[in-house]
Amino acid sequence: MSVVHERGNARIEANLTPMIDMTFLLIVFFVLVSRISEVENVPMELPRPIDPATVPPPEEGRVVLNVLPGPDGTVEGYKVGAAQFAPTPDGAAALERHLATLLAQNPDLDVNLRADRATSYADISPALEAVAAAGRTSDRAASTRINLVVVNDQRRSVAR
Amino acid sequence: MSRHGARHAISRRARPRLTLNLTPMIDVVFQLLIYFLVSTNFALGEQVYRVDLPNREEGAADPFALDEEPLRIELLAAGDATPGLVAIRIEGPWPQPSSFEELHDFLESRRIDADRPAGLFAPDHPVLIDPGPSVRWDVTVDAFNAVVRAGYTNVGFADEP
Repeated sequence: MSVVHERGNARIEANLTPMIDMTFLLIVFFVLVSRISEVENVPMELPRPIDPATVPPPEEGRVVLNVLPGPDGTVEGYKVGAAQFAPTPDGAAALERHLATLLAQNPDLDVNLRADRATSYADISPALEAVAAAGRTSDRAASTRINLVVVNDQRRSVAR
Repeated sequence: MSRHGARHAISRRARPRLTLNLTPMIDVVFQLLIYFLVSTNFALGEQVYRVDLPNREEGAADPFALDEEPLRIELLAAGDATPGLVAIRIEGPWPQPSSFEELHDFLESRRIDADRPAGLFAPDHPVLIDPGPSVRWDVTVDAFNAVVRAGYTNVGFADEP
């Protein structure tokens, strides 16, 4: 016993490796998650149709067009990625130009339209028309595809 | 002399053991587990309806192709008091449905398929949904769902609201 103590006092150390591992993982996690959710999926109440005949969303080649909900069924603007456009005729024209640029880069791009369930159609129709008009200016052969995003609680989808 | 003797005494008392520290690995595995549990919930149940917006202004249409008259379904808001309520009107001499379930039944019963060769509308017959300006988006989607569920593939929105 006395022989062991001759080497020095026993030291108590905290092993920091697991904490650093966890911290880095949490950082990576929040960086990724916050980017995805803020840029693409603006929080809103999507429509929940009864007995929906929907299909799974495309994995690639799509851009998300959010119709930002305001109070009482109004809209605050249209958002594509980080770019935001005002709900005015000028804003709709700017949205059309932005989408046309994206479609020029990738003519097979799909547009995912996310809109709140309480938004009135008068505010969504300019977004639909902007997508259609942008599609007409692109090289796409037949038609521009727009995907209406809804919540499917039943987890049932149809093959089309 | 005494130091050398002491070291010898230690190594004789306890041999150094080779152990694998599993704590960081377990941390990482738990983190990954939590990550996947959470991340699979993000787009929970988000699915889509596909709509093809035709590029109508291109003039190279087939001159011999018959231009099919689309079946137009109008949605008229009943008033501000009941925002979810709409009147459904099918353009033409058809029975007017009072709910989206009836709209679905009407469209399905008139679709041409193997069981009903005498049906009126082919599955790719164009169907246009024409919501009024104040119609809520969820009501519009309900109408869209009724048409898609009835087996029609060529569903779109009318140009002017």
